[in-house]
Amino acid sequence: MDEIYGVFAQESRENLTEMEAGLLRMEQGDHDAETINAIFRAAHTIKGGSGVVELHHVEKFTHTLENLLDKLRNGEIEVSSDLITALLKGCDHLNALLVLVEAGNLEPDPVLDEAGVGVAEMLKTFVGGSGSSSDAPKSQKLTETPGGEVHRDGTNVATGDCWHISVRFHEHVLTMGMDPLAFLRYLLNLGEIAHMATVADKMPPADEMNPEACYLGFEISLRSHATKEAIEDVFKFCRDDCDLHILPPNSKLEDYLHLIESLPEESLRLGEILVRSGALTKEELDEGLRRQNAASRLSVGTDIPAPQLGEILVDKKMVQPEIVEAAAAKQKQVAEKKTAEARLIRVQADKLDQLIDLVGELVIAGASANLLAQKSGQGTLVEATSVLSRLVENIRDSALQLRMVQIGETFNKFNRVVRDVSKELGKDIDLIISGAETELDKSVVEKIGDPLMHLVRNALDHGIEPAEVRAANGKPVKGRVELNAFHDSGSIVIEVVDDGGGLKADKIQAKAIEKGIIQPGQTLSEQEIVNLIFEAGFSTMEKVSNLSGRGVGMDVVRRNIQALRGQVDVKTEVGVGSRFVIRLPLTLAIIDGFLTSVGDYSYVIPLDSVVECLELRDDATRGHMLNLRGEVLPFIRLREFFDVEGAPPTRENVVVISAAGRKAGIVVDQLLGEFQTVIKPLGSLFKHLRGIGGSTILGSGEVALILDVQALTQLASQTEERRHPIAHGAPALEAR
Amino acid sequence: MKTILLVDDSATILLSISNILTKAGYAVEKAANANEGLNKFKTGLKVDLLITDLNMPGMNGIEFIKEVRKLPNYKFMPILFLTTESQQSKKMEAKAAGASGWLVKPATADELINTIKLVVR
Repeated sequence: MDEIYGVFAQESRENLTEMEAGLLRMEQGDHDAETINAIFRAAHTIKGGSGVVELHHVEKFTHTLENLLDKLRNGEIEVSSDLITALLKGCDHLNALLVLVEAGNLEPDPVLDEAGVGVAEMLKTFVGGSGSSSDAPKSQKLTETPGGEVHRDGTNVATGDCWHISVRFHEHVLTMGMDPLAFLRYLLNLGEIAHMATVADKMPPADEMNPEACYLGFEISLRSHATKEAIEDVFKFCRDDCDLHILPPNSKLEDYLHLIESLPEESLRLGEILVRSGALTKEELDEGLRRQNAASRLSVGTDIPAPQLGEILVDKKMVQPEIVEAAAAKQKQVAEKKTAEARLIRVQADKLDQLIDLVGELVIAGASANLLAQKSGQGTLVEATSVLSRLVENIRDSALQLRMVQIGETFNKFNRVVRDVSKELGKDIDLIISGAETELDKSVVEKIGDPLMHLVRNALDHGIEPAEVRAANGKPVKGRVELNAFHDSGSIVIEVVDDGGGLKADKIQAKAIEKGIIQPGQTLSEQEIVNLIFEAGFSTMEKVSNLSGRGVGMDVVRRNIQALRGQVDVKTEVGVGSRFVIRLPLTLAIIDGFLTSVGDYSYVIPLDSVVECLELRDDATRGHMLNLRGEVLPFIRLREFFDVEGAPPTRENVVVISAAGRKAGIVVDQLLGEFQTVIKPLGSLFKHLRGIGGSTILGSGEVALILDVQALTQLASQTEERRHPIAHGAPALEAR
Repeated sequence: MKTILLVDDSATILLSISNILTKAGYAVEKAANANEGLNKFKTGLKVDLLITDLNMPGMNGIEFIKEVRKLPNYKFMPILFLTTESQQSKKMEAKAAGASGWLVKPATADELINTIKLVVR
């Protein structure tokens, strides 16, 4: 794809996001002019951009959207839920168009365009609606004053949102063949004169009056969308023969302020900023500069400081003080931004990954050096390597920090989801986000989106009850879904909380029995029952709406999260709501491990899944189960599982691990202690091996396998079930 | 109907501009040089706007304007002169001589009519 299209697509996507966010804010009652303006500007930018890159089908569609937004901005049409929905549909279509552009497809797609015509038609129905202002009575128009006489109004008050034009003609203009009325009449081409006052202060007594001289001045309120430049142009022939001040309407004032704000970040002089925003015309600037020069010449050799250009412009009523202030602020901001930008560097993600890889190697090499130093027994060498390893640790932490991104962007996507889905379901639901600034590894952020989406949809669909049920239960009619993120002891926690009906244990149990997930009569704690929803093929909703029944169950959510070495839990209270808690490791690249050995081989168990370690005593085992303080614990002998040759030592150890609420024992020869380790993925040849999740390299250079705790606990339970198919629920052996 | 007197030594310009003006609803009188123009004024022709070229053989546009302003009945008549963008100094000179404004050549029909509307009521 040509670079220009890429830039366009990216910029437009950002603008589209801004439009959506703005529309959603508006729907929630934010009718701030700035919000509407921001939406309009975003659409306007997309339109402008598509025109420049000659994507005329995009331009055409955006034009319709922009038109409607313009009317909205000018208060010609009212904000309504339908209108927002229509505008959001417009955004969706635009998004579809952008997807095509991103795919390198620059030609309009006939199917999509047909859809676009439909959307555009829908948008146009709103434009026609109440846009009556153009048919407003024109009684104030000058053309209707007979004989071109100017009616003196007597007030200088501008009505509504008008340009204010103040003009005092010099006495000789008539003899120049210029007719003030011709200029005034010409103004009507630009807009509507809302008010006009004739100023005749200069008019002398009748006997002193020169009939060939012009004594008149006018104060005019012009309702117009024209630029200051265009208005000034009307007076271009008498620019030197009159005093002219053109002040923008209030709305225009804001426009200027925004324009000044949105000017490209480059160093400009104050005058340039003002001219670029349209608040000042070139002629006015020239005059201002002339005056400044004259003034500074005067002030040479005196104590009086030469006046600033801004002061002169305000003094001469060329621009309002607010605008000068904004322009000055912009100047400062540009200067500051320049320095701030220098502190930010964009780096390609794969370069970062490479760095993390190298740091991983460094950690391993450092451990190896450490080991050798300790073997050598030289005190100074040990000291040196320990300093080195501390530094390596610091480097590792900083390197990992580089990959951290805020979760806010992922969270913000859900504003739209909640809005759309709650609308679809006819429920009124608020989304509350907290901890958006929480940082986690980029690769985790990318993969957590889908599970989160499922949980949020579930909360909206199954969690929050219909309004009438909520009202009947004395709860606020408006439902509430929360997304929270925070750090908790070395892991990140993401919560999806709803204040809905909660999970009903009896229903879940009945369903689980029906589905054959548990046996009738099996005794389970309430928490265990609730956790059954994560089992494959589970759905309690009798009525399957189009949100559920997508073939993705909670089991997939759990599996996705476990693939990130995370876990998901649910806490629920009937009638109060549910809280899904996702716990994720901060990073995927480096873990705390627990090093064990069997024979000559080393195995690493992720430390966060280790519950406890104990000695394996023959008298406490039966088959592949052992008695853990009265609890039945299935276990696996790694020696058997991996076919390690040699006889087991006299003392074997059990590492009790837990994954997804299930516990199992892993029997190893030796416990070697905690060990920080870099995860290396297994080659594709070994991918299918069960029970192994990855590998790492020890300080000695040996390879150690990282155990897949999830798979091992499952295997252990299955082995136990096969041997004792009816042992479920009843204690298989008594505590001795 | 408003009457416009058009003075230019180029027949092409006379024709093309008068076509535009006629289409826009003005009555057009044409003169090929300053003297011919002055003669039209001397017959007492009612003129609402004078458009004149600046560079003409014989009496040039500036002198012509000065003469016109001296005539008793045309003191307040708007005068537009035809110029090109580069002649900024000429603009000042012509204004000093009594011109109301200028038309920049080449101009589109719309620009022409808009400028005329600026000075003709």
